Amino acid sequence: MAKILKYIFLIGIGLSILIGLFFRPEHPHFWWEKLPAFDAIFGFVGCILIVLGSKALGHHWIQKDEDYYNG
Amino acid sequence: MVEIVPPAFIFILGALLIPLLRDRRVRQVLQLLIPVIAFIDLLYMPKGSYWIYDFLGYNLILGKVDKLSMCFGYVFVIMAFLGMVYALHVRDVGQHVAAFLYIGSALGVTFAGDLFTLFAFWEIMAISSVFLIWYQRDSAALDAGFRYIMVHIFGGCALLSGIIIYVVNTGSTHFDPIQYGGLASQFILLGFIINAAVPPFHAWLSDSYPEATVTGSVFLTAFTTKSAVYVLLRAFAGVELLVWLGAIMAVYGVVYAVLENDIRRLLAYHIISQVGYMVCGVGLGSELAMNGSTAHAFCHILYKALLFMGAAAVIHVTGRRKLTELQGRNLHKQMPVCLSLYMIGGFSISAVPLFNGFVSKSMVVAAAGELHRPMIYLLLHLASIGTFLHTGLKLPYGTWFGRVPEGEKIDEVEAREPPLNMLIAMGMTAFLCIYTGVYPKVLYDLLPYPVHYYPYTPYHVVTMMQLLLLTAAAFWIYIDKLGGEATMSLDTDWFYRKPGLLLLWFCIHPLQNLRLALQRSVAGMVVGVTSLSRNPILLPEIALRYLHLKVVNGLYRISGPSEQRAEALKNLESRITELRHMNYDENLYRRPIGLGVLLAIILLFFYGLIYYIRLR
Repeated sequence: MAKILKYIFLIGIGLSILIGLFFRPEHPHFWWEKLPAFDAIFGFVGCILIVLGSKALGHHWIQKDEDYYNG
Repeated sequence: MVEIVPPAFIFILGALLIPLLRDRRVRQVLQLLIPVIAFIDLLYMPKGSYWIYDFLGYNLILGKVDKLSMCFGYVFVIMAFLGMVYALHVRDVGQHVAAFLYIGSALGVTFAGDLFTLFAFWEIMAISSVFLIWYQRDSAALDAGFRYIMVHIFGGCALLSGIIIYVVNTGSTHFDPIQYGGLASQFILLGFIINAAVPPFHAWLSDSYPEATVTGSVFLTAFTTKSAVYVLLRAFAGVELLVWLGAIMAVYGVVYAVLENDIRRLLAYHIISQVGYMVCGVGLGSELAMNGSTAHAFCHILYKALLFMGAAAVIHVTGRRKLTELQGRNLHKQMPVCLSLYMIGGFSISAVPLFNGFVSKSMVVAAAGELHRPMIYLLLHLASIGTFLHTGLKLPYGTWFGRVPEGEKIDEVEAREPPLNMLIAMGMTAFLCIYTGVYPKVLYDLLPYPVHYYPYTPYHVVTMMQLLLLTAAAFWIYIDKLGGEATMSLDTDWFYRKPGLLLLWFCIHPLQNLRLALQRSVAGMVVGVTSLSRNPILLPEIALRYLHLKVVNGLYRISGPSEQRAEALKNLESRITELRHMNYDENLYRRPIGLGVLLAIILLFFYGLIYYIRLR
């Protein structure tokens, strides 16, 4: 089951990028909208950035012990 | 002929009626009937300004009805109904009263045509909503509620200050677009953005919503922030400051959601993030952006309520609220319906095509594109990624599936589907999320400006799918890193919680000690005066004996021990104690009456003498 889901997921990614190549924006406002598969790359890189960035910020500064205010 | 009345009054009247009904079934019927009556009332309300009352020479306008206020009015009443279905099993009548007052005042704000009415309902909203937190009845909720109400009272004071300056300057109390610039507008804006939870004034939201009751938190998500978005739309469209505040806010909420362990707090940070889109849309100020903000507020109320309903249902059946206590327990086996309905909310907030977030969020992003704001566009896009990552992937995975970190034991947790009324409420909300997503025309017709926006272009659908699928891919890679961590996150509430603790410490320790020391010394003085005044006549004798005692004592020390002196000392001491305990008895001190007469004559003589000298 998990394996089938995995394949469906990977096929979905492949398909969305493939189909994306055929549709271009009618009125691009920014240069990056003309790049093929920009949103895919932005999604992947952006997600990694959010995870790593937030975790780094959290571990070095923001995250404190649970009874920080009561301890 | 039945007259239409301000919808706020229907709810407030309902709040007053509910505690009078003893029978639970009748009360439940009324709880559901009131939103229905209010909805019918809304349908019959014509456009324009009415329900105008004279108050101290100013006009109070309770019905300023146009497309903008109608749109918020509809969604508030729909939400009232859904929330009431969700809360139907609650036996605590007070919670329903608080909820009805809260909804009523939010509707009052929505249809307020003048600043005084606005302010009055604004304050009722703050005061009634805090009870939805306090009814949780634990110390965390009590503390969080107090912090919540203090922040809102501060915001209310800012708003009132602004309103007074505004009215004095312009002479008008009408709630119209306010020119930004100058003290009046800044104070009013401050009051508004505190309720909209714009950083750095957002911490009240993530602090208090997760502490509220299971059903109360669902109401809280809908009204305070969205009525703030409404007043911002009405008064501050096109203020550049809001563009940046909104965009930063959207990302800010996402960053904190990564770190959060409490499931409702995670969702609360996503309220902040989503309201960021709306605030940004207000700032952009174009027709598309304003439509986008309104539409997003409408959709957000529905899907965020659904998400909170799902998360709160888990808390309701398991009593647990943290990812670290839920992950790896495979709750999806026991509550598949709840999970599926939650996921509809998750897909909606993530703007998956065919769900309502897709048709509303993209309007604001498109407006940023249309106005050529590359930074804003990218920030909002980035926030979309984070939204899907947390509410669509991390939270459901951690809550219903998840893995336990190695070495940690899994404790059994009892779970089942939540009560039927909760599931029905979730089902209806989920239906509305999909309905407005599939058929956006019904939503677009409600928006303040004519809509020329088509969300379902192939390019838009396909790029959105790319963004979401690749976000999921990245989540897959970091899946083990994203489990809950048993920590809390510092936020801007530090700036009042820490000084607050310091103030408390100051009161408990130095101030309390000072009070005790003062009390002790004053009490000592009182004791001294009391013992002295027991018998003032004997005071000279006691003093003399005391002196005697001291002298004898001194001699005793110098000359060394001697039995005779020890005896004398003992006698003296006992005599002093005896004297000190001797009460005043006037019979002991009676003198012949002649003495009194003699004293009087002597006094009279001196009086006469002085009088005579003065006369000369």
